[in-house]
Amino acid sequence: MTPLLEIRNLSFAYEGSAALVFDRLNVTVQEGEFILVKGPSGSGKSTLLRLICRLNKPQGGSILFQGNDTTTIAPAKLRSTVSYVAQIPQMIDASVEENLLLPFSFAINAGKTPPGTDELKEMLSKFYLAGVRPDQSAMKLSIGQKQRLAIMRALLQKPLLLLLDEPTSALDQESAAMVFSIMERLNTEEHKTLITVTHIDYKPETVRPLTYTLAHQTLHLHESDH
Amino acid sequence: MSQIINISSSQLLLALVFILIAQASSFIYHLGLNRDIAIGTIRTFAQLFLMGYVLTFILKSSNPFLVMSIFIVMVVSAMFIIKGRVKEKQIPYIIPTFLTMLVSYLATALFVSGLVIGITPWWEPRYFIPAGGMVIGNSMSALAISLERMFRDMRHQKELVEMKLSLGANYREASLDIFRNAVTAGMIPSINAMMGVGLVFIPGMMSGQILAGTDPLIAIRYQIVVMLMLVGSTAVSSVVVMLFVRRRCFGSGEEVLLSPR
Repeated sequence: MTPLLEIRNLSFAYEGSAALVFDRLNVTVQEGEFILVKGPSGSGKSTLLRLICRLNKPQGGSILFQGNDTTTIAPAKLRSTVSYVAQIPQMIDASVEENLLLPFSFAINAGKTPPGTDELKEMLSKFYLAGVRPDQSAMKLSIGQKQRLAIMRALLQKPLLLLLDEPTSALDQESAAMVFSIMERLNTEEHKTLITVTHIDYKPETVRPLTYTLAHQTLHLHESDH
Repeated sequence: MSQIINISSSQLLLALVFILIAQASSFIYHLGLNRDIAIGTIRTFAQLFLMGYVLTFILKSSNPFLVMSIFIVMVVSAMFIIKGRVKEKQIPYIIPTFLTMLVSYLATALFVSGLVIGITPWWEPRYFIPAGGMVIGNSMSALAISLERMFRDMRHQKELVEMKLSLGANYREASLDIFRNAVTAGMIPSINAMMGVGLVFIPGMMSGQILAGTDPLIAIRYQIVVMLMLVGSTAVSSVVVMLFVRRRCFGSGEEVLLSPR
């Protein structure tokens, strides 16, 4: 079976720097997997996710999505299928509803029917945002609420792969627990494939993740997961 | 109408009184401008005398190649001034900006001198050079403002642009607000000039024509053409340059190339 994502001999260095962040990194992700990438800050965890959705350009190697080299897929098409949620959630200066429906204003989603207000309300409660009204300003939400809203927004386009960049780093314990619970539910109930990078020691309760550690410019699978 | 009165060399030197006043102010209040005022005064004399002799020569020669060469020199000089004002090292914007300036200013100057004023030949230097100069000077400032704004916003709002890209926006959709704001910022001074003209200030060209003895009713017609020409050429050159330069802010994977400073 063709893997959902395959990274082959990936090499990357930041512009103007000779030091390689990744040196011939290889990894394969199958559909439905729940992947955790751990490692100290500065090891390139976020960069790995950004390379997958082409927000950064690798120096060498290739990334295949469903067997196709990602450089042959139109960037907008790739990013609506492989959705990346940044560490610090970004909102446009508009209402919660306008933020959630933002992807439907883009050409790539022309012709698709956006979810209605009732559907959004139902989803908001699933994302522990029941107290948030669709017409209120998204800018006034707490960072934890924004993070959950950002994940929800990314999911509305029904991506096949969700890339979460340190989704709980800016959150308090309670908010972090909500996000972890959402992540696990997305995998168990909706069979979403997730790659989450995190530097904290998080042990999922309801899913068995594949845990990698990023060190020495490449990924190492944890022994216990073999 | 009376003949224009010549300014003799001694009278010209008398005008230096204004510079002495400026120098004295800077000296008394320690403004630190003495050197700049001195250099500025020398450059004003040197550059304008040079321009005067060049124009005298060109007006007499009636050679279209010479007129075009002067025009190109003016555009190149404007490009260097923009380069000095827009401190951007990462994105190569010089060539698209220069080419757009050259083409759009040439088209505007042609349209005005050839069609609106209806001069034959269209390159008649008495009309073509001043019209070109006004277009270049005006739109140069607009382009510098727009470029500066676009690069600054693209850096400040990189995360926001990347959020939109991550949700499936193409680079045009992700940077639409930045593009609009950049073009608007450059155009506002020209639009404001249309609002204030004749009420707040008498434009330089019209003042010059009136001083030279032209009927004010003819002078205003020229000035109206010039104002409209400036707004049009600024709009066209700003939009086209911003379209080209915006594309250069993104890589082949439509990723933001600018890194934070």
